Amino acid sequence: MAPITVRRLSKVFDGGVQALHPLDLEVRDGELLVLLGPSGSGKTTVLRCIAGLEVPSSGDVVIGERVVTQLSPAERDVAMVFQNPALYPHLTVRENIAFPLEVRRVAAAQVARRVLEAATRLGLKDVLDRMPDQLSEGERQRVALGRAVVRGPQVFLLDEPLSRLDARLRIALRGELLALHRALGATMIYVTHDQTEAMTIGQRIAVLHEGRLLQVGTPEEVYQRPADVHVARFVGTPGMNVLQGRGRAAEKGRVIEVGSLVIPMELSTYEGELQLGIRPEFVTLCAANHGVGNADVLVVEPLGSETLVHLDVGGQPLVARVPGFADARVGTQIGVKVDRRRVYLFDAAGAPLT
Amino acid sequence: MSTTRWAIPAVAAALVAASATLLVVRGAQSRYEREFAMRMARTTATYIAAVTPPPPPPPAPRPPPAARRGRTRAPQPSVPPAPPPPALQLSPAARSYHLPALLSQARALKTLPGWTSEVEVYYGTAPLVDATAPPLTPDDLRELDSKGTRWRGGVALVPLRDRQGRELAGAVAVRPLRVPRGPLPGGLGFALPAALLAVGAAGAIAFRGRPLRRGGYIAAALLLAVAGFSDVRTAARISTDRWLVDTRRLIQDAAARIPPPGVRVTLNELAALVQNTGGELVDGEPGESAPRRVQIDGVERAVVVITIGSNRWVELRTTPAELDAPRWIILLLPCALLGPIGILLLRWAERTPVRQQRVSAIAWGFLTPAIVHLLVFTIGPAIFAIYLALHSAGTVVGLANFRSVLDDPVMWHSFRNTLVYSLYVPVSVALALFAALMVHAHRTRWSGRLLGAAFLSPYVCSVVAIALLWQLIYQMGSLGVGRVDWLNNQATALAAVMLIAIWAHVGGQMMVFLVGLRRIPPSYLDAARVDGAGAWQRFWRITLPLLRPFTWFVVVTGFISAFQVFTLVFVLTQGGPLHSTDVLAYRVYQLAWGSPAGAGIGVGTAFAAAVFVLVVIFRWPQLKLLSRVVRDA
Repeated sequence: MAPITVRRLSKVFDGGVQALHPLDLEVRDGELLVLLGPSGSGKTTVLRCIAGLEVPSSGDVVIGERVVTQLSPAERDVAMVFQNPALYPHLTVRENIAFPLEVRRVAAAQVARRVLEAATRLGLKDVLDRMPDQLSEGERQRVALGRAVVRGPQVFLLDEPLSRLDARLRIALRGELLALHRALGATMIYVTHDQTEAMTIGQRIAVLHEGRLLQVGTPEEVYQRPADVHVARFVGTPGMNVLQGRGRAAEKGRVIEVGSLVIPMELSTYEGELQLGIRPEFVTLCAANHGVGNADVLVVEPLGSETLVHLDVGGQPLVARVPGFADARVGTQIGVKVDRRRVYLFDAAGAPLT
Repeated sequence: MSTTRWAIPAVAAALVAASATLLVVRGAQSRYEREFAMRMARTTATYIAAVTPPPPPPPAPRPPPAARRGRTRAPQPSVPPAPPPPALQLSPAARSYHLPALLSQARALKTLPGWTSEVEVYYGTAPLVDATAPPLTPDDLRELDSKGTRWRGGVALVPLRDRQGRELAGAVAVRPLRVPRGPLPGGLGFALPAALLAVGAAGAIAFRGRPLRRGGYIAAALLLAVAGFSDVRTAARISTDRWLVDTRRLIQDAAARIPPPGVRVTLNELAALVQNTGGELVDGEPGESAPRRVQIDGVERAVVVITIGSNRWVELRTTPAELDAPRWIILLLPCALLGPIGILLLRWAERTPVRQQRVSAIAWGFLTPAIVHLLVFTIGPAIFAIYLALHSAGTVVGLANFRSVLDDPVMWHSFRNTLVYSLYVPVSVALALFAALMVHAHRTRWSGRLLGAAFLSPYVCSVVAIALLWQLIYQMGSLGVGRVDWLNNQATALAAVMLIAIWAHVGGQMMVFLVGLRRIPPSYLDAARVDGAGAWQRFWRITLPLLRPFTWFVVVTGFISAFQVFTLVFVLTQGGPLHSTDVLAYRVYQLAWGSPAGAGIGVGTAFAAAVFVLVVIFRWPQLKLLSRVVRDA
């Protein structure tokens, strides 16, 4: 149980690729923080630097009171669960779980007791003597968790542990993971590219994009007050619509033009090129020429309780989420309305306009 | 499942197989009959030349008996060719036969007691025994003169040369007589009943729809092959026996007539009668008159006892024709198995969807070259080696070769040397693993690649080149180390060869380990690092166990090749000094080719077979293990 502090951490790989730009991150004691980002965003590199598997090019990692930057993984008292999940294929489940204790020369009786304890906690008692290739995917991931839990480390690092599982199993294991976190009270860093997963399990979410930390906040903050246009796009299913546009003065006040839409809006501080964000649920459809503009219907995806309508507004894509089944036909023109109170404005570089 | 759809083709396949087998049996039998006829004709021609008196001497008294005796030689095939076709010249009368004498001689053949062959003697082109028989044509004679023997109209023809064995005087013809060949009543062989049984079995299985009984049909087909072989063997045996019996009559007759009255015939004079027909005549003892088979010096011979005069016996010996009968199995077995194979194919075709049939046919098409290669270059030579090991100078010697292998004093010594030599394998495997770990750790840097190439270079060199290089190093000294002539020192020679073997093999083994290391996902090692394992623990607990299939592969193949080591020893030491580097494979070579003209081939191959058995015994558990770990990998 220890907080983790990352100070000005950066990583440049051998080929000169800057995987991480200097970033600061603080994980509170006992917190479950999710590192969220698309693949290639550097989230796994952050995790491996904290684990000690990568040596950072600059910056420090502090676990508890200790600066561990120069320590080996073994000395950091962290446990890691891998995506694949890296069970030693030549060892039984029991031996896999016992491995971290055995290499630390824990007494045999204590090893047996703690392995049994961890296995019981994770429901693995019946498969202790099987080999990893005789297990189901879910069991394998549980064994990997067991291997992490058995040592009682200060920090758990989880690298996309559920991404290989099918949807049903993923939801079940997600619940178990949360229960485990509550029971252990340990600090956990959880890496994922799945924003739904991030929203459901993260106490706080850190969003990474191209090696930069864009925002750290609770799921609500990240969803409702995105600190960057990338965050806005990435969080939510589907993500926020972001359209290129410009503000200008009109006869009645000011308007923003995005594609074929003209949205009347007061702009206090900015004119010219900007980006307009609107979540799909705040886009509504109406008859042509009755809204803020017209759009071509490209694709209609009925999901039962709601329907996603993919539109084209003057060359830019726009998704609308409408309840029930939408009365929109592909290839027709349709009118669009937006909830003006729910519009986000970003400048051309992606920073929010207030 | 409709039974009849494949029942008729199945019976047809069985019929084809049975007829093919019977045809082969018949072919083999007539081959032996013709062989007998040809041999008998040649013996008869020699006999006639020896016993027919010279023409009465109108001009002057003709050759004295002693001189004539020396001339009783059998006809030589290498007689100068006949004069050009149109004017075929027969032997001048002086050296030729007196027609009346020849006539009575030829007729007398028919009256020899116990004589079984049907024979005709031609003087020129005219038949003598049966005057109404059709005469030969001059073309027949010409061809006989140039080729030596002829097969014409179902009759074996051999030239009858004059008494000096030079020019053609006529011909002797022997018709192969169809004696009862089979052991069953009426001369019936086993093959025909067996064929009927096989066809019947196929019919019963096919029409009654009992697919599970097809094992019974395979048994019937095998029985057919065995029966056919038995018939062929009987025919071969009979052909030898008949030659022995008929030749006995000729020899008895000749014994009474060759020498002038009052003079005892010598063994040499009689032996000359059979020496060109594969016979051998030795002094004998009284015994039963029927031909029999005896072991003489470990070799089977067919013998018959001949009484010549009172209290004088000779023994006529020859190689039994049935000894080479087993080669017919090569034809008989496939013919007999045509039926079962055909039926199995039919059943397979019936059960299998057409598309899968096509896939299977294509697969077999691609497999065929590999199968042919395997048959011709691996299985064939292996069978030939077994054949060689059981023979010595062309005759069957059974396990005698193996006995001489066990008696070979150097054999156990070379076995021990091979065992000691193979101990280089663990050393080179350990070194190769170490090298592979180093190269793998530096694999992305030029230093790693250079190191890998350096280790690998001996492996891609010719072994002979390596051996010569090291010979130079040992003899001339190198790198400031003086001349270290370990190869010529009895105490160090084997170790010196082992050192070269290590040097030559580390590279290849390293390659295998490198592949293995590359196949270990890095996440295992990452996980172990986070779990707290140090470098040493990671090697022993993760890397080495995960490399196990590769380690076993390297160790097993290393030991196998160590047991076969030849080139290094051959080039470097020739087994010396004082057999201190004599290894099994080199000993095989020495036994096979070391003695003059490959006389030891049989012993050598027997040794090789013994080595093979040894290697299999030693390596079997490891090979089983290897197949398991390869499956696991």
